[in-house]
Amino acid sequence: MRLTLRALVSHGRLARRMGLGPESRINMLRNILTGLVRHERIETTWARADEVRFYAEKVSGGGDVDEKAMKMASFWLTEKDLVPKLFKVLAPRFENHSQGYTRMARLPNRENLDRAKMAVLEYKGNPFPPLYPVKRENELTLINQLLKGYREEKTKDVEEL
Amino acid sequence: MSPPAMPTKEKTTAPALAVNGLSLPPPQLHPKIQLEEEQENQEHPSGLLDSIMWMAAPKKRRTIEINRTRRRAESKLIKVKNNIEPCLECGHLKQKHVLCGFCYAKVSRETGLIRQQINAMEGGPLRTPTVETVVLYEGETPSTQDKDKRIVERPRKRPAWFSY
Repeated sequence: MRLTLRALVSHGRLARRMGLGPESRINMLRNILTGLVRHERIETTWARADEVRFYAEKVSGGGDVDEKAMKMASFWLTEKDLVPKLFKVLAPRFENHSQGYTRMARLPNRENLDRAKMAVLEYKGNPFPPLYPVKRENELTLINQLLKGYREEKTKDVEEL
Repeated sequence: MSPPAMPTKEKTTAPALAVNGLSLPPPQLHPKIQLEEEQENQEHPSGLLDSIMWMAAPKKRRTIEINRTRRRAESKLIKVKNNIEPCLECGHLKQKHVLCGFCYAKVSRETGLIRQQINAMEGGPLRTPTVETVVLYEGETPSTQDKDKRIVERPRKRPAWFSY
Protein backbone atom coordinates (compact mmCIF):
# COMPACT_ATOMS: atom_id res chain seq x y z
CA MET A 1 0.00 0.00 0.00
CA ARG A 2 1.34 3.44 -0.94
CA LEU A 3 1.73 5.64 2.10
CA THR A 4 2.42 8.90 0.22
CA LEU A 5 0.47 10.25 -2.72
CA ARG A 6 2.06 12.35 -5.46
CA ALA A 7 -0.42 15.24 -5.52
CA LEU A 8 -1.92 16.39 -8.81
CA VAL A 9 -1.55 20.03 -7.73
CA SER A 10 1.92 21.57 -7.87
CA HIS A 11 1.96 23.11 -4.39
CA GLY A 12 5.43 24.23 -3.38
CA ARG A 13 7.24 22.97 -6.48
CA LEU A 14 9.91 25.47 -7.48
CA ALA A 15 11.21 23.99 -10.72
CA ARG A 16 9.45 25.71 -13.65
CA ARG A 17 8.53 23.89 -16.82
CA MET A 18 9.12 25.93 -19.97
CA GLY A 19 8.87 25.09 -23.65
CA LEU A 20 8.77 21.52 -24.93
CA GLY A 21 10.85 19.89 -22.20
CA PRO A 22 14.05 20.37 -20.14
CA GLU A 23 16.31 20.59 -23.20
CA SER A 24 13.98 23.09 -24.87
CA ARG A 25 13.92 25.11 -21.65
CA ILE A 26 17.73 25.29 -21.53
CA ASN A 27 17.89 26.32 -25.19
CA MET A 28 15.30 29.04 -24.66
CA LEU A 29 17.15 30.37 -21.60
CA ARG A 30 20.40 30.26 -23.56
CA ASN A 31 18.90 32.49 -26.25
CA ILE A 32 17.52 34.93 -23.72
CA LEU A 33 20.87 35.03 -21.91
CA THR A 34 22.71 35.76 -25.16
CA GLY A 35 20.32 38.64 -25.80
CA LEU A 36 20.88 39.95 -22.30
CA VAL A 37 24.67 39.85 -22.61
CA ARG A 38 24.49 41.59 -26.00
CA HIS A 39 21.97 44.31 -25.13
CA GLU A 40 22.38 44.54 -21.32
CA ARG A 41 18.67 45.28 -20.89
CA ILE A 42 15.81 43.10 -22.16
CA GLU A 43 12.04 42.84 -21.76
CA THR A 44 10.49 39.39 -21.49
CA THR A 45 7.80 37.62 -19.55
CA TRP A 46 8.31 37.65 -15.81
CA ALA A 47 8.73 33.87 -15.52
CA ARG A 48 11.47 33.77 -18.19
CA ALA A 49 13.28 36.73 -16.63
CA ASP A 50 13.17 35.05 -13.25
CA GLU A 51 14.61 31.82 -14.68
CA VAL A 52 17.35 33.59 -16.67
CA ARG A 53 18.42 35.67 -13.67
CA PHE A 54 20.04 32.67 -11.95
CA TYR A 55 22.02 31.74 -15.06
CA ALA A 56 22.95 35.36 -15.85
CA GLU A 57 24.52 35.81 -12.44
CA LYS A 58 26.32 32.48 -12.60
CA VAL A 59 27.74 33.26 -16.04
CA SER A 60 28.90 36.84 -15.42
CA GLY A 61 30.16 36.38 -11.87
CA GLY A 62 33.11 34.13 -12.64
CA GLY A 63 36.45 35.96 -12.55
CA ASP A 64 38.89 33.28 -13.68
CA VAL A 65 39.41 32.43 -17.35
CA ASP A 66 40.26 28.74 -17.48
CA GLU A 67 39.36 26.00 -19.93
CA LYS A 68 36.18 25.00 -18.12
CA ALA A 69 34.94 28.61 -17.92
CA MET A 70 35.60 29.06 -21.65
CA LYS A 71 33.63 25.92 -22.45
CA MET A 72 30.70 27.01 -20.28
CA ALA A 73 30.68 30.48 -21.79
CA SER A 74 30.84 29.11 -25.30
CA PHE A 75 27.91 26.80 -24.51
CA TRP A 76 25.74 29.48 -22.95
CA LEU A 77 26.38 32.26 -25.49
CA THR A 78 25.14 31.30 -28.92
CA GLU A 79 26.78 34.35 -30.56
CA LYS A 80 30.53 33.79 -30.18
CA ASP A 81 31.58 37.44 -30.36
CA LEU A 82 30.04 37.95 -26.92
CA VAL A 83 32.44 35.54 -25.16
CA PRO A 84 35.30 38.12 -25.05
CA LYS A 85 32.78 40.76 -23.97
CA LEU A 86 31.72 38.53 -21.09
CA PHE A 87 35.25 37.98 -19.79
CA LYS A 88 36.68 41.45 -20.50
CA VAL A 89 33.71 43.74 -19.76
CA LEU A 90 31.16 42.06 -17.52
CA ALA A 91 33.45 40.06 -15.22
CA PRO A 92 35.70 43.05 -14.28
CA ARG A 93 32.60 45.25 -13.85
CA PHE A 94 31.26 42.96 -11.11
CA GLU A 95 34.54 42.30 -9.31
CA ASN A 96 33.56 44.36 -6.28
CA HIS A 97 29.96 43.15 -6.13
CA SER A 98 29.54 40.00 -4.05
CA GLN A 99 26.10 39.08 -5.36
CA GLY A 100 23.35 40.76 -7.35
CA TYR A 101 24.67 41.64 -10.79
CA THR A 102 21.21 41.88 -12.33
CA ARG A 103 18.16 43.97 -11.64
CA MET A 104 14.64 42.83 -12.47
CA ALA A 105 11.60 45.12 -12.41
CA ARG A 106 7.99 44.38 -13.24
CA LEU A 107 6.40 46.17 -16.17
CA PRO A 108 2.72 46.82 -16.92
CA ASN A 109 1.10 43.76 -18.59
CA ARG A 110 1.66 43.28 -22.32
CA GLU A 111 -0.85 45.07 -24.54
CA ASN A 112 -1.83 41.92 -26.49
CA LEU A 113 -4.84 39.69 -25.89
CA ASP A 114 -2.77 37.53 -23.53
CA ARG A 115 -1.99 40.43 -21.10
CA ALA A 116 1.17 38.59 -20.09
CA LYS A 117 3.10 39.55 -16.95
CA MET A 118 6.22 41.32 -18.28
CA ALA A 119 9.51 42.21 -16.65
CA VAL A 120 12.65 44.08 -17.64
CA LEU A 121 15.97 42.44 -16.76
CA GLU A 122 19.24 44.36 -16.89
CA TYR A 123 22.83 44.09 -15.81
CA LYS A 124 23.83 46.73 -13.27
CA GLY A 125 26.16 49.38 -14.65
CA ASN A 126 24.67 49.46 -18.13
CA PRO A 127 25.04 52.68 -20.16
CA PHE A 128 21.30 53.23 -20.65
CA PRO A 129 18.99 55.63 -18.72
CA PRO A 130 18.03 54.24 -15.30
CA LEU A 131 14.74 52.41 -14.76
CA TYR A 132 14.12 53.92 -11.36
CA PRO A 133 14.21 57.73 -11.32
CA VAL A 134 17.14 59.22 -9.46
CA LYS A 135 15.93 61.22 -6.47
CA ARG A 136 16.73 64.87 -6.98
CA GLU A 137 16.17 67.70 -4.54
CA ASN A 138 13.72 70.26 -5.91
CA GLU A 139 15.02 73.83 -5.41
CA LEU A 140 11.64 75.39 -6.03
CA THR A 141 9.69 73.92 -3.08
CA LEU A 142 8.63 76.40 -0.38
CA ILE A 143 10.78 74.93 2.40
CA ASN A 144 13.87 74.84 0.18
CA GLN A 145 13.33 78.47 -0.90
CA LEU A 146 12.95 79.59 2.74
CA LEU A 147 16.09 77.68 3.76
CA LYS A 148 17.96 79.23 0.83
CA GLY A 149 16.90 82.71 1.93
CA TYR A 150 17.92 81.92 5.54
CA ARG A 151 21.36 80.77 4.41
CA GLU A 152 21.87 83.92 2.31
CA GLU A 153 20.88 86.17 5.24
CA LYS A 154 23.23 84.30 7.54
CA THR A 155 26.17 84.77 5.13
CA LYS A 156 25.27 88.51 4.77
CA ASP A 157 25.21 88.93 8.57
CA VAL A 158 28.56 87.17 8.87
CA GLU A 159 30.05 89.46 6.20
CA GLU A 160 28.69 92.63 7.92
CA LEU A 161 30.20 91.63 11.28
CA MET B 1 -21.19 -22.09 -52.25
CA SER B 2 -24.04 -23.22 -54.33
CA PRO B 3 -27.29 -21.45 -53.54
CA PRO B 4 -29.41 -23.35 -50.98
CA ALA B 5 -31.65 -25.84 -52.64
CA MET B 6 -35.21 -24.60 -52.92
CA PRO B 7 -37.83 -26.90 -51.49
CA THR B 8 -39.62 -28.56 -54.34
CA LYS B 9 -43.14 -27.21 -54.67
CA GLU B 10 -45.94 -28.95 -56.40
CA LYS B 11 -48.00 -26.68 -58.61
CA THR B 12 -51.18 -27.75 -56.85
CA THR B 13 -50.17 -26.32 -53.37
CA ALA B 14 -50.51 -22.63 -54.43
CA PRO B 15 -52.65 -20.44 -52.06
CA ALA B 16 -56.29 -20.36 -52.88
CA LEU B 17 -56.72 -16.63 -52.20
CA ALA B 18 -54.01 -13.95 -52.84
CA VAL B 19 -54.48 -10.44 -51.37
CA ASN B 20 -52.39 -7.53 -52.74
CA GLY B 21 -51.02 -5.08 -50.12
CA LEU B 22 -52.08 -6.20 -46.68
CA SER B 23 -53.55 -3.12 -44.86
CA LEU B 24 -54.65 -4.83 -41.63
CA PRO B 25 -52.19 -4.91 -38.60
CA PRO B 26 -50.32 -8.17 -38.06
CA PRO B 27 -52.40 -10.76 -36.21
CA GLN B 28 -52.26 -10.33 -32.37
CA LEU B 29 -51.26 -13.25 -30.25
CA HIS B 30 -52.59 -11.85 -26.92
CA PRO B 31 -54.26 -8.52 -25.95
CA LYS B 32 -51.80 -7.83 -23.03
CA ILE B 33 -48.69 -8.00 -25.22
CA GLN B 34 -50.42 -5.53 -27.61
CA LEU B 35 -50.85 -2.94 -24.75
CA GLU B 36 -47.16 -3.24 -23.72
CA GLU B 37 -46.04 -2.78 -27.30
CA GLU B 38 -48.16 0.37 -27.62
CA GLN B 39 -46.73 1.81 -24.41
CA GLU B 40 -43.18 1.14 -25.59
CA ASN B 41 -43.79 2.91 -28.89
CA GLN B 42 -45.27 5.93 -27.07
CA GLU B 43 -42.32 6.19 -24.62
CA HIS B 44 -39.14 6.91 -26.61
CA PRO B 45 -37.97 5.72 -30.01
CA SER B 46 -34.51 4.72 -28.58
CA GLY B 47 -36.24 2.12 -26.42
CA LEU B 48 -35.46 2.86 -22.74
CA LEU B 49 -37.28 0.39 -20.63
CA ASP B 50 -37.02 2.38 -17.33
CA SER B 51 -39.26 5.13 -15.96
CA ILE B 52 -40.68 7.76 -18.28
CA MET B 53 -39.17 10.86 -16.44
CA TRP B 54 -35.34 10.66 -16.87
CA MET B 55 -34.14 14.22 -17.81
CA ALA B 56 -33.64 16.93 -15.14
CA ALA B 57 -35.61 20.12 -15.64
CA PRO B 58 -36.33 23.10 -13.41
CA LYS B 59 -39.58 22.85 -11.56
CA LYS B 60 -40.18 26.57 -10.99
CA ARG B 61 -38.96 29.86 -12.42
CA ARG B 62 -36.03 31.29 -10.42
CA THR B 63 -37.15 34.56 -8.94
CA ILE B 64 -35.22 37.76 -9.55
CA GLU B 65 -34.24 37.95 -5.87
CA ILE B 66 -32.62 34.50 -5.97
CA ASN B 67 -30.95 35.34 -9.28
CA ARG B 68 -29.60 38.60 -7.86
CA THR B 69 -28.12 36.93 -4.78
CA ARG B 70 -26.36 34.39 -7.00
CA ARG B 71 -25.09 36.90 -9.58
CA ARG B 72 -23.92 39.49 -7.04
CA ALA B 73 -22.18 37.10 -4.65
CA GLU B 74 -18.88 38.31 -3.17
CA SER B 75 -16.83 35.83 -5.19
CA LYS B 76 -18.33 36.99 -8.51
CA LEU B 77 -17.79 40.73 -8.08
CA ILE B 78 -14.58 42.37 -9.38
CA LYS B 79 -12.18 42.94 -6.46
CA VAL B 80 -11.21 46.49 -5.61
CA LYS B 81 -7.48 47.22 -5.94
CA ASN B 82 -5.98 49.50 -3.33
CA ASN B 83 -2.39 49.41 -4.63
CA ILE B 84 -2.80 52.07 -7.32
CA GLU B 85 -1.00 55.36 -6.80
CA PRO B 86 0.18 58.27 -8.99
CA CYS B 87 3.75 58.19 -10.25
CA LEU B 88 5.82 60.91 -8.57
CA GLU B 89 7.61 61.81 -11.79
CA CYS B 90 4.83 62.09 -14.37
CA GLY B 91 1.57 61.82 -12.44
CA HIS B 92 0.18 58.87 -14.38
CA LEU B 93 -1.36 56.10 -12.33
CA LYS B 94 0.75 53.04 -11.61
CA GLN B 95 0.64 50.00 -9.38
CA LYS B 96 2.93 50.13 -6.36
CA HIS B 97 5.09 47.11 -7.30
CA VAL B 98 5.18 47.85 -11.06
CA LEU B 99 7.17 50.47 -12.99
CA CYS B 100 5.25 53.49 -14.36
CA GLY B 101 4.24 52.77 -17.98
CA PHE B 102 4.77 56.33 -19.19
CA CYS B 103 8.19 56.73 -17.60
CA TYR B 104 9.30 53.33 -18.87
CA ALA B 105 8.08 54.20 -22.38
CA LYS B 106 10.26 57.34 -22.27
CA VAL B 107 13.29 55.33 -21.13
CA SER B 108 12.61 52.58 -23.68
CA ARG B 109 12.42 55.10 -26.53
CA GLU B 110 15.72 56.67 -25.55
CA THR B 111 17.44 53.27 -25.22
CA GLY B 112 16.10 52.41 -28.69
CA LEU B 113 17.69 55.53 -30.14
CA ILE B 114 20.97 54.83 -28.31
CA ARG B 115 20.95 51.29 -29.70
CA GLN B 116 20.36 52.64 -33.23
CA GLN B 117 23.42 54.85 -32.78
CA ILE B 118 25.44 51.85 -31.51
CA ASN B 119 24.39 49.78 -34.54
CA ALA B 120 25.42 52.60 -36.86
CA MET B 121 28.80 52.76 -35.12
CA GLU B 122 29.35 48.99 -35.27
CA GLY B 123 28.31 48.83 -38.90
CA GLY B 124 27.17 45.21 -38.98
CA PRO B 125 26.04 42.24 -36.90
CA LEU B 126 28.21 40.37 -34.38
CA ARG B 127 30.79 43.16 -33.86
CA THR B 128 30.52 43.98 -30.14
CA PRO B 129 33.68 45.63 -28.83
CA THR B 130 35.34 44.38 -25.65
CA VAL B 131 35.10 47.76 -23.88
CA GLU B 132 32.43 49.47 -21.82
CA THR B 133 30.08 51.99 -23.39
CA VAL B 134 29.14 55.49 -22.22
CA VAL B 135 26.51 57.82 -23.67
CA LEU B 136 27.30 61.54 -24.04
CA TYR B 137 24.87 64.23 -25.09
CA GLU B 138 25.45 67.60 -26.76
CA GLY B 139 28.19 69.70 -25.29
CA GLU B 140 29.56 67.03 -22.95
CA THR B 141 33.19 65.95 -22.85
CA PRO B 142 34.34 62.57 -21.62
CA SER B 143 35.45 62.67 -18.01
CA THR B 144 38.35 60.76 -16.37
CA GLN B 145 36.09 57.77 -15.69
CA ASP B 146 35.22 57.48 -19.41
CA LYS B 147 38.85 57.20 -20.46
CA ASP B 148 38.91 53.76 -22.08
CA LYS B 149 35.25 53.46 -22.93
CA ARG B 150 33.48 53.54 -26.28
CA ILE B 151 31.62 56.86 -26.56
CA VAL B 152 28.14 56.96 -28.08
CA GLU B 153 27.10 60.47 -29.06
CA ARG B 154 23.47 61.51 -29.04
CA PRO B 155 22.74 64.78 -30.89
CA ARG B 156 20.36 66.24 -28.32
CA LYS B 157 20.29 67.90 -24.92
CA ARG B 158 20.68 65.58 -21.94
CA PRO B 159 17.18 64.68 -20.64
CA ALA B 160 16.48 65.61 -17.03
CA TRP B 161 15.69 62.03 -16.03
CA PHE B 162 19.00 60.65 -17.33
CA SER B 163 21.70 61.75 -14.93
CA TYR B 164 23.82 59.51 -12.75
